[in-house]
Amino acid sequence: MIVLAMAIFPLIYSLSISFMHYRLIPPMPPRFNGLDNYAKILGQARFWSVIYTTSVIVIFSVFLQYVIGFAVATALNAKIRGSSVFRVLLLMPMLIAPVAVALIARMILNPVIGPLDQFLTMFGFPDLPFLSNKNWAMGSLIAVEVWQWTPFVILLMLAGLQTLPRDVYEAATLENASKWRQFWDITFPMLLPISVAIIFIRIIESFKIMDTVFVMTGGGPGIATETLTLFAYQEGFKKFNLGYTSALSFLFLIFIIVIGVIFLAIVKPYVEKRS
Amino acid sequence: MTNISIRNLSKSYGDVVVIPGINLEIRDKEFVVLVGPSGCGKTTTLRMIAGLEEVSGGEIWFGERDVTNLRAGLRNTSMVFQNYALYPHMTVAQNIGYGMKVRKVPKPEIDKAVRKAAQILDLEAYLERRPKNLSGGQRQRVAIGRAIVRDPDIFLFDEPLSNLDAKLRIEMRSEIKALHRRLQTTIVYVTHDQVEAMTMADRVVVMRDGNIEQSDDPITLYEKPANIFVASFIGAPSMNFLEGTITSGEGGAQFQTTDGVTIALPANKWADAAGRPVVLGIRPEHATESSPTKTVVTMLVKSVEPLGPHTLINGTVAGAKFTAQMPAGTSFEPGESAEIHINLDKAHLFDGASELAIR
Repeated sequence: MIVLAMAIFPLIYSLSISFMHYRLIPPMPPRFNGLDNYAKILGQARFWSVIYTTSVIVIFSVFLQYVIGFAVATALNAKIRGSSVFRVLLLMPMLIAPVAVALIARMILNPVIGPLDQFLTMFGFPDLPFLSNKNWAMGSLIAVEVWQWTPFVILLMLAGLQTLPRDVYEAATLENASKWRQFWDITFPMLLPISVAIIFIRIIESFKIMDTVFVMTGGGPGIATETLTLFAYQEGFKKFNLGYTSALSFLFLIFIIVIGVIFLAIVKPYVEKRS
Repeated sequence: MTNISIRNLSKSYGDVVVIPGINLEIRDKEFVVLVGPSGCGKTTTLRMIAGLEEVSGGEIWFGERDVTNLRAGLRNTSMVFQNYALYPHMTVAQNIGYGMKVRKVPKPEIDKAVRKAAQILDLEAYLERRPKNLSGGQRQRVAIGRAIVRDPDIFLFDEPLSNLDAKLRIEMRSEIKALHRRLQTTIVYVTHDQVEAMTMADRVVVMRDGNIEQSDDPITLYEKPANIFVASFIGAPSMNFLEGTITSGEGGAQFQTTDGVTIALPANKWADAAGRPVVLGIRPEHATESSPTKTVVTMLVKSVEPLGPHTLINGTVAGAKFTAQMPAGTSFEPGESAEIHINLDKAHLFDGASELAIR
């Protein structure tokens, strides 16, 4: 009961705040204003832009994390010399705090003195606007997300790969199925359930992206790379508009639930087919 | 026509030599069983025939084809694995038809072949099920079904029955034998169970430490084992061995055990083996309550095992472990002495040093 109360209380508390006009600055007594906060958010173009930005980052970065992670895991699973060293090295990015990753990335991507820029100008490229052009900035954010979280996919996919029985592949080898076919006919379907779980976790985690964006672009240029959590942060801790921010958080929660449910509904038939 | 010719085939993992070099000719349509204790190299040999294991030396020929370095998928063999190796995410029908799908056979043809295989193996009711919803015996049948739809040149079986219970194993044994008669394909079958080997094979190849000890039809193997290892491996319960020497005395030759027990030998039998250390081998079924050669030894009884059709008595004769097979209803108390009649016409003699049979 206590545990349940502890889990539920903050939610109920913030839900109740979301129905109020509640500002810390100027300090005015909170008053109930019904669904006004929600209506205001949904009518705001910035909210939809933020949803769009976040979704683009999530879809591209999770997709790339999964594809690259699966490929690397498959390579590591093969018995190659020194694979245990690679395993440890490849997991390193995941162990670094996202803020630190973002700081490193910001330095590397510095459009004038960053090492990546210097490397590229060596080949005659102009100084590239890694963080100051909308599309480049999105690309950079996605790249950093992929760099940091692909190891998570590698780790779990590798664990999945190692549970697969060897004789099944031998049977397929005797049927003259190529490695490529074996991957699509055996490995991929057998790892589908774990893949769904990994992608699901990554989608939910990625929607909460905050520190990377905060440090690298601060949501800019303009609000071009502003994500949901960053938007909520701006409203809550820059404008101290708590009622509005709570409502925003709840819309955010609903949005993630909707995305999660849609994702699970799409993959369900495929997963059920195999079990 | 697919005979298999294995020429001086060897296998080593680094410095560890698993198979020093074997030669084996398997005729077209022959059912050959490789049998031996664990680690004797039988499975490695099978996997080299399949192409799943690289060859360290020597050659493998299928008929006129040298397949030594040919990719496993191009050898047209199919294999039934010990753990079935079914694709867990596919239905029974998909499992059986997968090989044809890989070879891009049109779907109606696959369906037809799958249905035919299912009919032969009594799997028609299970075609839409997944392996995990099948019993061990049914899974084994699916694995066999997957092997037969391919219409392979050679069937390979790797201890296929070892995960089944005793009753099912006996059933599957006769089913596989019937399948061989029906399909008329060369079969190489690996097992550690000598009963399986004896009951199914046209020819049994007994292996030990990577060498072929003897390769003969089951009855020859039983009646004329080439050496002590084969004699003790084939037959259950195992053959009894008494160590000693043969001395020529008045009234013919005698076998004298190291403990000084003397057994008179029939006239002219093994007389030329006199003087060197030998081992006398007697199967339990030839040590019983009476015998045509009227040879009697005294056995110290340690335990009695009534099996129904007959009763086994375990104990020692001249200090060596000995098992006798007595008629049902025979009763001895542990600690008693029993008079055992040995049929020396059916006994075997081996050289004590080389362990080879002396005929």
